[in-house]
Amino acid sequence: MRSSPSEPAGAAVAERPRARGAAVKSEAVAGFDDVTYEEKRKLFEEVRSDLRFPDYLYGCYECGICVAVCPSARFYDFSPRRIAQAAARQDVELIYQQMQEDIWECSQCFSCLRCPRGNNPGGIVTIMREVAVNHGLASAKEALEGYSRIIYKIMSTGTQVSPDMLQPDAFPDWGPEVADVSNQLALWRRALPPETLHTTSTGWDVSDRTLIELYLIWLETGALDMIRDVDEGLHMILEEVMEERLEEEGIER
Amino acid sequence: MTIANQAAPAVAVVGGGPAGLAAARTAADLGSPVVLIERLGFLGGMPIIENYAAITPHLEPAEVAMGRMITAVESHPLVEVVLDTEVTSCEGEAGAFTLTLEGGAGGSRKISAGAVVVATGFQHFDPGRETQMYGYYEFPDVIALQDLEAMLKDHHVVRPSNGESPARVCFVQCVGSRDRQIGNEYCSKVCCGIASKEAMEVRQMLPDCEVFIFYIDMRMYGYWENQIYWPAQEQYHVQYVKGVISEVLPKGDRLLVRGEDTTMGRPMEVLMDLVVLSVGMEPSPGTRKMASVLGIEQNKYGFVEAVQPPLDTVSTSRVGVFAAGAALGPADLEDSVSTGAAAASRAVALLRSPVGA
Ligand SMILES: Cc1cc2nc3c(=O)[nH]c(=O)nc-3n(C[C@H](O)[C@H](O)[C@H](O)COP(=O)(O)OP(=O)(O)OC[C@H]3O[C@@H](n4cnc5c(N)ncnc54)[C@H](O)[C@@H]3O)c2cc1C
Ligand code: SF4
Ligand code: SF4
Ligand code: SF4
Repeated sequence: MRSSPSEPAGAAVAERPRARGAAVKSEAVAGFDDVTYEEKRKLFEEVRSDLRFPDYLYGCYECGICVAVCPSARFYDFSPRRIAQAAARQDVELIYQQMQEDIWECSQCFSCLRCPRGNNPGGIVTIMREVAVNHGLASAKEALEGYSRIIYKIMSTGTQVSPDMLQPDAFPDWGPEVADVSNQLALWRRALPPETLHTTSTGWDVSDRTLIELYLIWLETGALDMIRDVDEGLHMILEEVMEERLEEEGIER
Repeated sequence: MTIANQAAPAVAVVGGGPAGLAAARTAADLGSPVVLIERLGFLGGMPIIENYAAITPHLEPAEVAMGRMITAVESHPLVEVVLDTEVTSCEGEAGAFTLTLEGGAGGSRKISAGAVVVATGFQHFDPGRETQMYGYYEFPDVIALQDLEAMLKDHHVVRPSNGESPARVCFVQCVGSRDRQIGNEYCSKVCCGIASKEAMEVRQMLPDCEVFIFYIDMRMYGYWENQIYWPAQEQYHVQYVKGVISEVLPKGDRLLVRGEDTTMGRPMEVLMDLVVLSVGMEPSPGTRKMASVLGIEQNKYGFVEAVQPPLDTVSTSRVGVFAAGAALGPADLEDSVSTGAAAASRAVALLRSPVGA
């Protein structure tokens, strides 16, 4: 960050690295597919008709408070103000562009809730992301690509990162101790006081009943189907795992 | 002279600021006896209480301008000024109210009045309640509009932390106004003009000092455009930046302000020596109290509700009770004296009308 007391405010701004460009984005996203205006309009209508939308956007002063408090705005060419502004102006073209690019740069920290108008730009991003995922937009596919293992873990076990995923080579920055720990993982885990943490392939012990409930929720609410368009293979595997388990339990859907 | 005991029913004016003074003078000039009741020991309202230096548009010293109004009222044969006094009850109806006054030399007493004008004004928004992080009570060099007014009046603008002249001053607009989180959803109307006026005065006094105004919208309507906004930019080179500050942080012995320069589209961090918060208006405690003593409707912000807008600006929900000035909502001096005069004429007309109320 640079700020110089002798220059006018315009010149004394913080310098930010530019994140946009081929070096960061895959080809598919950098040159994302242009679709018809009707298609873009449909995506926007889906965002706007979301139950939460009226609570997340009243109108926008374009005052920039959200940008000033936004961590992502400091590091990327990302602006919660532009998110709110585009939504308020119902700028269908810009909103589509944002769904293909900007929305994945938000950290979902909700510092922007300090908006004097009571807007929630981060919440608008949440809705835009859900719509992007539901429609399998290229940006959603790319953003979730690195997470297929995590999604698999969460949806199949109900827990996120499991101890056996912490291989020493995967996290060199965690230091030399990680190797020792992972060699004797089960032993180290048993040293933890709560018995529910004596697990290695899940984050903690998930009871049968919890898991079954979870599978039913993923299936019945359509949460599982959300990823169909983003990662077809993963969707198939998960569906199989869940249905098999439910069949074992004698639960018919 | 004790006006209230004269034959003609008196107009009771509550509050001796610009609006109350205009109301008292107008009613008296129309030949009606007036009792002007002021809570404090002096007249003049906020411009005197808060030591305003110069007032818009011609930068006349506030004491001089207000002094003319005060003298005109005090020397008027039909006006009785009652200082250090508040109204604690109001019985009866239009044409024949009985008010109980408490305080002053007389202790408690009752007066009769045919009509009442409420001109109890506003208070500055308390910057301790803002929802960003400006640190008014934390950093001595973060001050509010009225604090700078007092320094301008003394011709001594310094950083309170060390007594040195500031090299960079900024104003942060809309503090406590236009904010859903705080609940003050209205614009306070005067702070854009006042900040710009003070910015010019600072530049006049300290020609080497840079002055910035961080704003959402600059609201200087009508003649304030070329009386204030243009000279501030063209003659005094005040820097206007669209983007409001989210945070003030200490950095060495200076202050770092953070915000976004929205028209340039970049986050900014700038060092300042003095940060001035453009605090808005809220109803004064006296306005809230008088509304309940008089039993008149308030709006959701606590200001007195004018019940027949837009073409009647001064009638309240109780016949015979009128309101004026900043008791009705954010108002500049021109609005305040205009509604003061309007309320007084309506009050006198009511008392003289052959068909009565
Ligand atoms: C920093 C600052 C600078 C300003 N400078 C300018 C300017 O340059 N030009 C401009 O046009 N406007 C200016 N204004 C706005 C101006 O101050 C108001 O328009 C004006 O003061 C409103 O007048 P008023 O009589 O309605 O209320 P007030 O000025 O608030 O007066 C109300 C009076 O009522 C009294 N009172 C309160 N409660 C009671 C009670 N219960 N019983 C009896 N008396 C009571 C108070 O003591 C006070 O004397 C400025 C405002 C601020 C914040
Ligand atoms: S979303 Fe809120 S904080 Fe951001 S620019 Fe709009 S009004 Fe300001
Ligand atoms: S939720 Fe997103 S947009 Fe809001 S402040 Fe955090 S990173 Fe920025
Ligand atoms: S007058 Fe200006 S600073 Fe005051 S509330 Fe209105 S826009 Fe904000």
